[in-house]
Amino acid sequence: MNNQESTDRIGYYFRKEKWILFIVAITGVLYNVGMAAGPWFEGHMVQYLCDILGGSRKALEMAVLAMAYVLTIFFVQYMRYLKRLYVRKFANHISKSMKMTLYWNLLHRKTTEQEAAGSMMTKIISDADACVEGMRKFTTEVFDTGVVMVSYLAMLLFYDWKLTLLSMLFPPIAYFLAERLKTVVIKNVALSRESSARLHEATLERVTNALTYRVYGQETNRNFAYEESLTDYEKKAVRANIWENAMPPIYQAISMLGAVVIIWFGGKNVFGTGWSVWNIASFTTFFSCYQKLAVKSSKAAKLFNAVQKANVSWRRIKPYLAPVKEESDSGTYSGTDLLVQNVTFAYPGQDPLFSEVSFSAKTGEIIGITGKIACGKSTLGKLLIGELPYEGRISLGDYSFSHQGNRYEAGVAYLGHQPELFSGTIEENICMGVPGDIDPVLRAVCIDQEVSGFPDGIHTVIGNGGIRLSGGQQARIALARALYHRRPVMILDDPFSAVDIETEKQIFSNIRIWTKDSIVLLISHRLSLFPKMDQVLWMENGRVYAGCHEELMETNPNYRVLYEIQRKEAKDHEE
Amino acid sequence: MKNKSSVIRIIGEMIGKNPGLCFLLLFVIGVSICFSLLPPLVLERIVDTLTAGEEIALSIAVAYFVMVAFSGLLDAAKESMITAFGQKTTHRIRSVMSEKLKRLPSSYYVEREQGVTSSRFVNDVNTVENLFTSGIISMAADLCKLISILCIVFSKSLGLGLLLILATPLLFLMTRQFQKRMLKAQMENREAVGRTNQQIPETLKNMRTIRVLGQETYMLHRYGDTIEQSYRAQERSNFYDAVYSPIVVSVSSLLIGIVMAASAQSGTVQVFFGMTAGTAAAVIAYVSNFFGPLESIGMEIQNIQSAVAGVQRINEFLRETEIKKSSMETKPEESEYALETGCCLKDNRTAVRISHMYFRYHNQDGDIFRDFNLTVSEGESIILAGRTGAGKTTLVKLVAGLYHPQQGEVQIFGKNPESIPEEDKRKWFGYVEQQFRMIPGTVGDQVSLLDPRIREGQIRYALKLVGLGEIVESLPQGIHTPCTEGLLSQGQFQLLSIARAIAADPKILLLDEITANLDSETEAMVLSALRSASQNRTVISVSHRLYDGERDHFARMVCL
Repeated sequence: MNNQESTDRIGYYFRKEKWILFIVAITGVLYNVGMAAGPWFEGHMVQYLCDILGGSRKALEMAVLAMAYVLTIFFVQYMRYLKRLYVRKFANHISKSMKMTLYWNLLHRKTTEQEAAGSMMTKIISDADACVEGMRKFTTEVFDTGVVMVSYLAMLLFYDWKLTLLSMLFPPIAYFLAERLKTVVIKNVALSRESSARLHEATLERVTNALTYRVYGQETNRNFAYEESLTDYEKKAVRANIWENAMPPIYQAISMLGAVVIIWFGGKNVFGTGWSVWNIASFTTFFSCYQKLAVKSSKAAKLFNAVQKANVSWRRIKPYLAPVKEESDSGTYSGTDLLVQNVTFAYPGQDPLFSEVSFSAKTGEIIGITGKIACGKSTLGKLLIGELPYEGRISLGDYSFSHQGNRYEAGVAYLGHQPELFSGTIEENICMGVPGDIDPVLRAVCIDQEVSGFPDGIHTVIGNGGIRLSGGQQARIALARALYHRRPVMILDDPFSAVDIETEKQIFSNIRIWTKDSIVLLISHRLSLFPKMDQVLWMENGRVYAGCHEELMETNPNYRVLYEIQRKEAKDHEE
Repeated sequence: MKNKSSVIRIIGEMIGKNPGLCFLLLFVIGVSICFSLLPPLVLERIVDTLTAGEEIALSIAVAYFVMVAFSGLLDAAKESMITAFGQKTTHRIRSVMSEKLKRLPSSYYVEREQGVTSSRFVNDVNTVENLFTSGIISMAADLCKLISILCIVFSKSLGLGLLLILATPLLFLMTRQFQKRMLKAQMENREAVGRTNQQIPETLKNMRTIRVLGQETYMLHRYGDTIEQSYRAQERSNFYDAVYSPIVVSVSSLLIGIVMAASAQSGTVQVFFGMTAGTAAAVIAYVSNFFGPLESIGMEIQNIQSAVAGVQRINEFLRETEIKKSSMETKPEESEYALETGCCLKDNRTAVRISHMYFRYHNQDGDIFRDFNLTVSEGESIILAGRTGAGKTTLVKLVAGLYHPQQGEVQIFGKNPESIPEEDKRKWFGYVEQQFRMIPGTVGDQVSLLDPRIREGQIRYALKLVGLGEIVESLPQGIHTPCTEGLLSQGQFQLLSIARAIAADPKILLLDEITANLDSETEAMVLSALRSASQNRTVISVSHRLYDGERDHFARMVCL
């Protein structure tokens, strides 16, 4: 995706589809100018019939005229078909590129902005649909209303310009009325849209939390509340629809006042006492042309409303379409020692959570990070993936990490508390677009047998957020994914919280083999594995004490106490 | 009745309930058709008058306008009434569907994606809405108009009438063919739209993983693929939509051409088709009026097609297997379920008894439980332990009455948990889920779950018991603060779900791996809240492993 384009300009989307629009323009003009041919031929056929019955013309002339009429209409209608098809193609393409841009921007939005963006996103997508619909209608109506009205008008002026001007007094009155009522229409449509959005949210919420409501016996209560949203929506939708749909016939009736003028003065023209000299053909052509024009003018009012609605939606989505720069990570990792120097971090407006943290790690090492509640060990993990800003320096070989926050480091893999699974297959969840054999990682996290027991094996679809797997299975699939996407630095925050002790030991020894070319930072509050770590970081009161397990057991009484309590409990459990 | 479409039945009920509105609607449609037929007849008079070399009376010109204006106003009335009726019906369909939610088995919610279910309510019912505003009723009106025009044309020109009768079945066959193909495309499109919509909330939830692994482009392609699928289906239906009207208009011009050429002939042909210039003008107006409705029927096909697809899906939803009626409807006598306070503690009764239970998920092989037995006395605290996949969570759900065992019995205080009346459930058990489920509303609403029977005092007491009392009081509007994602920490939210569980002072507390997704920092906080919350209650807790210090207050451990 090219992000240098100004994706937040409406013109960008029209330019992007210029070839399709070119076809639409050619066929649109041919079709709509051709529309005026219908009344002309029809008028002449009535005149010819009149003449033939009077004996001044031959039947063959009529046959030729009728043939020309049919062929012209065929051509014009073929143009119409092409125009309709390409206008719809145009709308599809725009809708796709708008949605893709919105999605891309969502993926690249700053971490802090994501939460706010999240709740709005569903609404924005439906705004994008409304906006594209408006653009489609606009493109259609530029030709079907604009061009066609001009060609009808030209024909009317040619026959009798005075009568044209007189009869044309009425459509502007309809326009004026439409303009006055537009604000009422927009207001009511907006109210109905808001109510519809509320209903949408209420539906999703009712379904998502259905089991919670069931277990607490609240289903009847929630259905009552849902019924209220339904009633509100019904009322507002009816009101909006009446305003929207019932107006065009009234505009049309007003424009048709002109027909009275045409019948009266046009009759005089044919009779020979009017402004121009007409025959029956002129009368019929003029009359049917005016009728078609009046119908179109009522649609013109509808066009204004459609564009207006699209404009409201466009203004809402515009900020979300602004192009984002993709931060390319040019990091090279020639030396692979991880060096953390004097890192200090504080949440905004608070005292530092920890300060002057320094430690280093070599390839192949597994480092255990632990400490008491709220010591900031999970936060330390998040600093390394660049999610939070900090002071100090973190580097991997020659490459220095950014300390600004909002930028993810390419050399680091991370597994947090949430499994973060997608509603695809197990394989898709692990590979995430990087093809390869996932059996080894499944074995490494001890889930291979369970997976091969599923009916579809690794192609089993795991449902929204992995809902069809148990909590423990979800956690292990997430760990498998982290291992599959091996990086120089792997941060595993509490990876064993959802597996039993036996499995934990087994997985740990597999991780050891898997990550011999990486540095693993394993954050945990359970210390049973810590004697096997190459280094232990004990976090306490904003400071970090580094050393191997044995050293800390000697020098740090708090570490020793915690370790021994846990070992005793584990022993009791075994007995 | 079983085979009859449920949506059609609902529409039938709506007609039965609103006979006045329906009658008025039919009346307005009838009158508006009559008025729309009159203007060409006036036009015929005008042209014939002119051909005869006479001047036109002003009254005829005015009469023409009145006809047109009236038919416009009647159209407006027709549109409004169709909308009102359509909205009433879709309201009813959604109400029926929300009632259905209550009767669906719990497994439905686990197996189906929520986005898909809610799109039944939103997108599919919307297509039914369109069915009224610009679909079936206007199509019926158009058909009536078509037949009336045909009658008038027959009286004016027998030949043209016969030509129209010949052309109509051919056009109708073509229409049917288009309908079938478009239906297929519409179905595919609808499915793809459901998948696309689901992807946004999922992406937001998994953003950290996507960005750490640098797979933004992969996600974009996934998103693009589902959009593409929906568009490929849509382009196919666009083709039929785009080609339909041009064919109809071309056929109509062909007919006019033939009639005009034929009426110019002499002899028998002329007798058969013959007409005056005025009649010719009127006939041209009628033929374009004839294909006008047929053309709008073409447009309405699209709406009706989407609606048929939507209706099929709604019917599928309404026909989903429901919870067995025996457990739902045999409402026991009130007294049987009334809580007998006071006598409970001294009797040391059995709180939960599971006897000879067999259970398996309907879509999986192999029993989760075979001849399983468990008894928990009142006031006892047990912990369910066992390796992953042993069925710990399933057991808790069986105790909560969410699932039905294939054989054997689950009883809480001697009753089948599935048949506990809805309004009593909270008094019997509180269920703390693995993750806190936020509902829209204030912090207090999270505890009460918007249950009007839970009073503010109970909310405050529950919050105090789990140690959130002061934290919530310090919020800007106390318990009336609107609850948002970042308002409390993850652990505090889990405390909130414990408060939710104990708000109605239940006898049994069910805890489903409630600390599984917490880090150790918050785990201890939750465990201490649990200690005070579980006093004087029977507690069944699921744990994949024993937490530090958790075992102290659990009397018994059950390994699965």
